[in-house]
Amino acid sequence: MKLKLLNILALILITTGLRAQNIVGEVEYRYRIFYDKIYSSMPHLTQQEKDRILLTWNNPEGYSTRMKLQFWPEKSLYTFGAPYEVQSYSYQVEDYFIENNLNDQTYLKYMDQMGKTFIVTDSLNAPKWRVMNEIRDILGHMCMKAVTEDKIRGQKITAWFASDIPVPTGPEEQFGLPGLILAYDVNDGMLIVEAEKITFGEPEEIISLPKKMKGREVSGAKYQELIQEFIQTSTDSKRAWMWEIRY
Amino acid sequence: MKFLISCLLLAAITFSTHAQSKLNISGVVKDTTNSPLDYTSVLLLTPKDSALVAYTLTNKDGEYIFKNVDRQPLLIKATYMGYLPLQKELVLPETGDLEVEEIQLMPILQELYEVVVKAAKAPLMMRGDTIEYDASKFKVPPGATLEELLRKLPGIEIDKDGNIVAQGQQVQKVTIDGRRFFGGNTKMATQNLNAESISKLQLFDDKSEQSKLTGVEDGVKEKTLNVELKEDAKNGGFGKISAAGGTDDRWNANASFNKFDKVNQFSIIGYGNNVNQSGLSFDDLQEFRGSNAFQWGDTGDFGFNGSGGSNVIIISGGDGEESFEIPFNNLNSGYSKNQALGINYNYLKDKKDFSSNYFFSRSDQIQRSFNSRTTFLPDNSSFTSTDENLQNNVVGHHRVNLRFQNELDSANTITINAKGRLSSLSTNLLSHQELIRSNMEQSQMDRNNQSDKWSGAFQGTAIYRHKFKKSGRNFAASISDTWSKADQDGIQKSVVDLMNSTDPNTYFRNLDQIIQALNGSNLIKSSLLYVEPIKNKFFVETFYNFSQSKSETDRQVYDVESRDTNELNPNLSRFFDNKITYNRFGSSIRYANKGSNLSVGLAASNYRLNGQFSVLKDSEVLGTVDKSYLNFTPNVTYWKTMKGNKRFNASYATGVTPPNISDLQPYKDISNPLYVREGNPDLEPQVSHTFNTGFNMYDPATFVSLQFSFNSTFYQSQVVQNQTIDPETLVTTYKPGNVSGGQRFFPYLGFGFPIVKTKATAYISANPSYSKSLALINSIETETDTYSHNFAVNFNLTPIDWFSLNTGSSYRLSKTKYEQNPSQNQDIINWSAYSNMNIKLPKDFYFDVKFNYSRYKNESFGFDQNVPILNAFVYKLIGEAKKWEVRLSAYDIFKQNQTISQYAGQNFVSTGMIETLSRYFLLGVTYNMRGIEIKSRR
Repeated sequence: MKLKLLNILALILITTGLRAQNIVGEVEYRYRIFYDKIYSSMPHLTQQEKDRILLTWNNPEGYSTRMKLQFWPEKSLYTFGAPYEVQSYSYQVEDYFIENNLNDQTYLKYMDQMGKTFIVTDSLNAPKWRVMNEIRDILGHMCMKAVTEDKIRGQKITAWFASDIPVPTGPEEQFGLPGLILAYDVNDGMLIVEAEKITFGEPEEIISLPKKMKGREVSGAKYQELIQEFIQTSTDSKRAWMWEIRY
Repeated sequence: MKFLISCLLLAAITFSTHAQSKLNISGVVKDTTNSPLDYTSVLLLTPKDSALVAYTLTNKDGEYIFKNVDRQPLLIKATYMGYLPLQKELVLPETGDLEVEEIQLMPILQELYEVVVKAAKAPLMMRGDTIEYDASKFKVPPGATLEELLRKLPGIEIDKDGNIVAQGQQVQKVTIDGRRFFGGNTKMATQNLNAESISKLQLFDDKSEQSKLTGVEDGVKEKTLNVELKEDAKNGGFGKISAAGGTDDRWNANASFNKFDKVNQFSIIGYGNNVNQSGLSFDDLQEFRGSNAFQWGDTGDFGFNGSGGSNVIIISGGDGEESFEIPFNNLNSGYSKNQALGINYNYLKDKKDFSSNYFFSRSDQIQRSFNSRTTFLPDNSSFTSTDENLQNNVVGHHRVNLRFQNELDSANTITINAKGRLSSLSTNLLSHQELIRSNMEQSQMDRNNQSDKWSGAFQGTAIYRHKFKKSGRNFAASISDTWSKADQDGIQKSVVDLMNSTDPNTYFRNLDQIIQALNGSNLIKSSLLYVEPIKNKFFVETFYNFSQSKSETDRQVYDVESRDTNELNPNLSRFFDNKITYNRFGSSIRYANKGSNLSVGLAASNYRLNGQFSVLKDSEVLGTVDKSYLNFTPNVTYWKTMKGNKRFNASYATGVTPPNISDLQPYKDISNPLYVREGNPDLEPQVSHTFNTGFNMYDPATFVSLQFSFNSTFYQSQVVQNQTIDPETLVTTYKPGNVSGGQRFFPYLGFGFPIVKTKATAYISANPSYSKSLALINSIETETDTYSHNFAVNFNLTPIDWFSLNTGSSYRLSKTKYEQNPSQNQDIINWSAYSNMNIKLPKDFYFDVKFNYSRYKNESFGFDQNVPILNAFVYKLIGEAKKWEVRLSAYDIFKQNQTISQYAGQNFVSTGMIETLSRYFLLGVTYNMRGIEIKSRR
């Protein structure tokens, strides 16, 4: 059955004259987070405290990290890219890998969150994307706007996907649109992830997951449950959760 | 290659069998020239919320097919690079499949795409016939009008009469946020509206006014431009004002106001009170300084530091009072009246960051204190001196801070800091001192000292940082100058009553003197730093530090012989002229990888001390100092960040501190006849070896935290004050000397954990310490060991919304052991407990209670003092927005407040008590534009 399907698909691909150069490549994203905005949105703060945070910690540039996505029609790999600047001190020890397997619709996430290392595996379940009537250009690709919501994290997500790169994946935990997600934004600018460079063709060095993955193995549903519980406890204790969970 | 399977195709195809409710939808996409468009994304959406149902791509004939789609209302949408996406509602047949009529995509006006979407990076939004985009993405000069903005937009022209022509048609009306503007006069709108206030422009064909009125479609369309204005969300202002009055004429008032937008931050703050508050609260300080509240790395000192002993020369006379910084969290002892006023302005634009503030503060303090000091003599006897004094200090400061930082480009940054201070201090001291040597020998002295002092200081710092093209290669240079001047005039009077002592030259002396002092100093500093990366994991850091400090002290003391005759006292008058030159060159290599950082470095430092002194500025030179010291200081630091918020660090440093010049002068200073100071020209710098290590961790899931550290210092050569006490006159002569063998150990262990998650947490800590100090007392080497046992425990309880309790206790036992004189061993106990409770009552009433209990005990002197302080507050928030607060405060209900200190030194024990403002009540009102802040937690 499966083989038959593949044959059909291959046939369709050949007949549609799919431009194969657009379905394999590497994207460098700038992950820009605005902690002042996120922190000042915490529900336990008074208006005076929110103003104080914005006034003193206001950082219009945000804090940037370079991320890297490699994609093929059947999978995508995502992790940290080379740092923007060589830092003479080394702080980063956290791992953050996401592998989306588009053929069998599963994912594997290996990441340090909430002070622990998790290995999360489950099937890819696209969120409910709403496709909007807006277009934008990102690195020469016309992108359409789509929005969704992450109720657990309280995030309003606005994504821009390029329909001319028909690989339904994207950076961080975003996927499931009729094209590669080249940019997305959380809560009107608390987090902005945007492609800075796209290189088509087989990547020179393919992202490899660590050989020995040590961590707590959980399902996606269980992981969401843990996150929900963590956010709830943090909110109850008037602590900010976003330092411990990737925003 | 043929297995390149795109999953979006997979998503469009499902394998369920054909059911009645499913259908296939197919069609074709073409462009306006009727050529098929291949590789076009076709999407099915629900009309209700545009939710994505399925998607696919067209084949080379522009054909697409969706199989087995649920029969539900659907929108179809097609999008292709360079074409306007098209969306339309599908009309599904009752049964069977749907062949959608041909979809024709219109190319996007090339100019529109190039200028708007690509160049200005503005998203295009389709709303039916209207194309909308964010006009704020177009760069126009500040102050530009809408007309100037329109000229930049594709498809729009402004004719010579100022009319707007869009897509060949004249625009008939301009609306703002959908409303008509100036009766439809388009020029009025375009020439008066500020382009910077516009967020969006919409161009569309509107029905004519006629047809709108009549409701009859007359087919006439009016080209309409709608302008959407920006919400001024970024502009803000907040302020609060508070005033309270109470018993014994106690009062307290403060006010602040902030106004800010993206670029400008302005704030003003002021306070006045007679309840000892002589600084801003930390929150107020943060709001006052705004974006400038936290700045790091502004000192311009580069290279590792010796952490055991500071390698940086501290400008002489640098006590807290001479600081450039705005005072905060200050609670005076005694009784004081305080006032302050400050203005701050920050400007933040592009890569320029300017901030400035002026702060004036004044404090008038009256303090009555009682001090007792028992000094042990080598023969196991002791004498006690007591001092009861009344002091009045009036101090005023004007402080100015300016800071400018400019990122010239991505490689170069310059930071300039300028600080200034102008202060006045006048003091008046009345003191009664008694000396009790035995029941037989007592004497007393009454003193009256007055002085007026003016001082000013300025500090300017410039730092330049450069990043080379090679990432990680950096250069930085800094230069700074600190200048200060102080002018003091004073009188000193004392009258001695010798009671039953016979020797007229004993402890106390009669005095009647006039003092004039003029001190000045200037410190120049400069540092260079160069960092070279090797393979992104190794970094060689090379630095050079230079500083030169020049200081001049001119102190003239006159004995008042009679009403008109003042005689210069050559024993007490001094002129010092000192210069300290410091050069350090060093380098370290650091390995930084995967959270591990190891740095090994070595520096050579040279101190050169030059000085001379005389009685008066131009009189005969009495002594000179010319010393030079060269030291090599190794430095090793290691730290590792680990997964799970764990961190370990360890370091070793050699610290070198040069002697004070005054300690090197081969001269006896008898300005205080009871404590004579004698210099030692052979003094060597203090050299210490410091080892620090620590580990901390925090588990965010369980809220458990652990901190451990162990810091120790070993003195290879310690500068100590050796003492000689004359058993007859009790005069102590201090002469500095070097000893080795002094040690200090500071372990710390802290553990925080929840008892009931989110409801109750605890933090316990222990930090015992040990120090060994050595000094010569009457030529006998004495060793003093101090063991300190500190334990603290804190609980934070928030069991329910309306109640919180923060309570804890700390205990410190300080055991001082005198190796040569064990009978004088001291056990000093400081014990305290506190409890802060916050209760939210119905109807916006709140009740806070703060209780602090302290106990000070030294058994060997029978000293035992309890200070229980109880403060209580009842307040109510008023109004819908809770902007008003009425508060009744009761401070120190038991009337027990006093400030107590205890100390055991090398050969003395002292206690001090200061009478401090006690029980008072205040009734006050606060208005806060942002709503009253309730702080239920510490």
